[in-house]
Amino acid sequence: MGNFGYLMDGFATVITAHHLMIMMIGVMLGILVGVLPGLGAPNGVSLLLPLTFTMDPISAIILLSCMYWGALFGGSTTSILFNIPGEPSSVATTFDGYPMAKNGQATRALTLAFMSAGIGALAGVVMITLLSGWVARFALQFSSPEFFAVYFLAFASFIGMSANAPAKTLVTMMLGFAFATVGMDTISGGLRLTFGIPDLIKGISFLVAVMGLFGIGELLLTTEEGLRFNGIKARVRPIDVLKTLKEMPRYGWSILRSTLIGIWMGITPAGPTAASFMSYGLARRFAKDKSQFGKGDPRGIVSPETADHSAGTSALLPMLALGVPGSATAAVMMGGLMIWGLTPGPMLFIDRPDFVWGLIASMYLGNVVAVLLVLTTVPLYASILRVPFSIVGPVIVAIIFSGAYQVASSTFDMWLVLGFGILGYLFKKLDYPIAPLVLAMVLGDKAEDAFRQSMLMSNGSLTIFWSNPLVSTIMALGVLMLLWPLIAKAAGLRRPRRPATGHPAKV
Amino acid sequence: MAESEKQSVSRKTMEIVTALLTAGAGLAICFGSWRSGIGWAETGPEAGYFPFYVGVLIILGSLVTLLRTMFFYRHEGEIFLDIEKARPVLGFFLPLVAFTVVSLLLGLYVGTALYICGAMMWQGGYRWWISALAALAVTGLFYLIFEIGFQVPLLKGPIEGWLGIY
Repeated sequence: MGNFGYLMDGFATVITAHHLMIMMIGVMLGILVGVLPGLGAPNGVSLLLPLTFTMDPISAIILLSCMYWGALFGGSTTSILFNIPGEPSSVATTFDGYPMAKNGQATRALTLAFMSAGIGALAGVVMITLLSGWVARFALQFSSPEFFAVYFLAFASFIGMSANAPAKTLVTMMLGFAFATVGMDTISGGLRLTFGIPDLIKGISFLVAVMGLFGIGELLLTTEEGLRFNGIKARVRPIDVLKTLKEMPRYGWSILRSTLIGIWMGITPAGPTAASFMSYGLARRFAKDKSQFGKGDPRGIVSPETADHSAGTSALLPMLALGVPGSATAAVMMGGLMIWGLTPGPMLFIDRPDFVWGLIASMYLGNVVAVLLVLTTVPLYASILRVPFSIVGPVIVAIIFSGAYQVASSTFDMWLVLGFGILGYLFKKLDYPIAPLVLAMVLGDKAEDAFRQSMLMSNGSLTIFWSNPLVSTIMALGVLMLLWPLIAKAAGLRRPRRPATGHPAKV
Repeated sequence: MAESEKQSVSRKTMEIVTALLTAGAGLAICFGSWRSGIGWAETGPEAGYFPFYVGVLIILGSLVTLLRTMFFYRHEGEIFLDIEKARPVLGFFLPLVAFTVVSLLLGLYVGTALYICGAMMWQGGYRWWISALAALAVTGLFYLIFEIGFQVPLLKGPIEGWLGIY
């Protein structure tokens, strides 16, 4: 059990006053971005990333990953207290969380959400601890064609599994690849797709794209919907917390099921949003007494929260072991690793075990810290949401533009943010998914390198992707995923794309 | 309903416009790649080889969306944006553009202060001195966090130069 030894070394790296403080700062900032409209986990991590360039990678990844955990918790807080999902993945929590809080049981709802979220997250980390070394060792056999096949599988499952129209998913994804190729070609050194604009030679940073698409786009959407915060006063009383803790074991079965759903959806690129919806749906289907769902059933809070967080943490397994992130936020973090000069993938486990296991150890601690912090600071964050949007909105805008400028000290990036903002608004209103675009932008270079190297190996013949059992299996799975909508339709399995009413999931 | 339709943009129109836009982007990408060479050179695939097919897929995807919207689709009668909702969106977006332009001319600190002050006065209806104080506080906080805390400089303009801040 070599992993266990490595994990202990990881804990030794992480348990220092410096790192624990970074963890707390990360979680606090994360809750803040999770609570504020227009700032979500991917956006928050993108804004923070340029500030970490001067830090050492381990501290930096602890800061960013803890921000991710914090944002997931912050998203649930607003779902329960304000009926406004701070994150797309916490939409399902509003269904029962808000009604329960409205019935005067805000503390119970919050405690249920945070505890089950914490359990889900820890289950995800345990899975990563057990499996990551094994997956990485397996992936060491991979060469370029296999890597391209893994990318193909990831993107094909996006198209096949997405709740959006496949053609729209294809378009946003390919736009992401195209943005990634702008600028200097790493292999030939030639310029591509710059159209004579000198500012484009350095390429388009995925950070700028995320800030525009998720940040400005979301803010425009928020102003259009006219946010009214009808919040519920939340005072977290320790006695209520303890009472709720005592009833937790009753939901053991829901938690177990939701954890499994979350882990599966997190490893495959379906992501936390899909996981929380699916988990909510299944909890409802398996419940003997369905009458309380939608009115504040505890299972309706526990299930989506557990799945959301276990998917959120599990998304880091493919990122670390294969270099394929399982969610938009994981994609941004992976971009960060590459900027720090670390290459995610199997070699990372051999070259920098201190980094990998430090990160994994920090995930255990970070989630515990997050549960404790979020329980104690909820009233503070709830009061932030009562600040009128005419103040909060402009401050968020200023933060986003400052962040965009800091990516490369380039004024051109500020125009790009504006452009991506309009694009994000348009895409969200027309149900184009944005996560595939971000993933493609981060993975673009790696996918292209893998493709070109495979082509070199085979002298330009596509048959290399079917040349051995391993690569053929992965490619076949990819094709299956790609054709999944057709197969499901033929079998009559496909659900209606979205409920007629209710909240559409914005990813 | 006929009157309200005059002052709104239908979802169908926007679907078509967006599909045409993405198709246009696809064409531009194909053209740009073709100029960098989409064939096979001594050293392997040329620089435009991969992005060319990316462009082709964008055009294909856009065409599918276009055809589905035009010939079979359900967005009939859905409204993309009407004048009621367009007003707050523009009221938020236009100051955003002004903020970008002012920041490029005067630097991000001055731009931020002016923007927050202006937005609070015109959108929030706050008195000028409350807005000015809030704007100064936020700008000061930015300076502390970015410039001193993380040592990542923001764009500065002529005013900071006169004040001798950097």
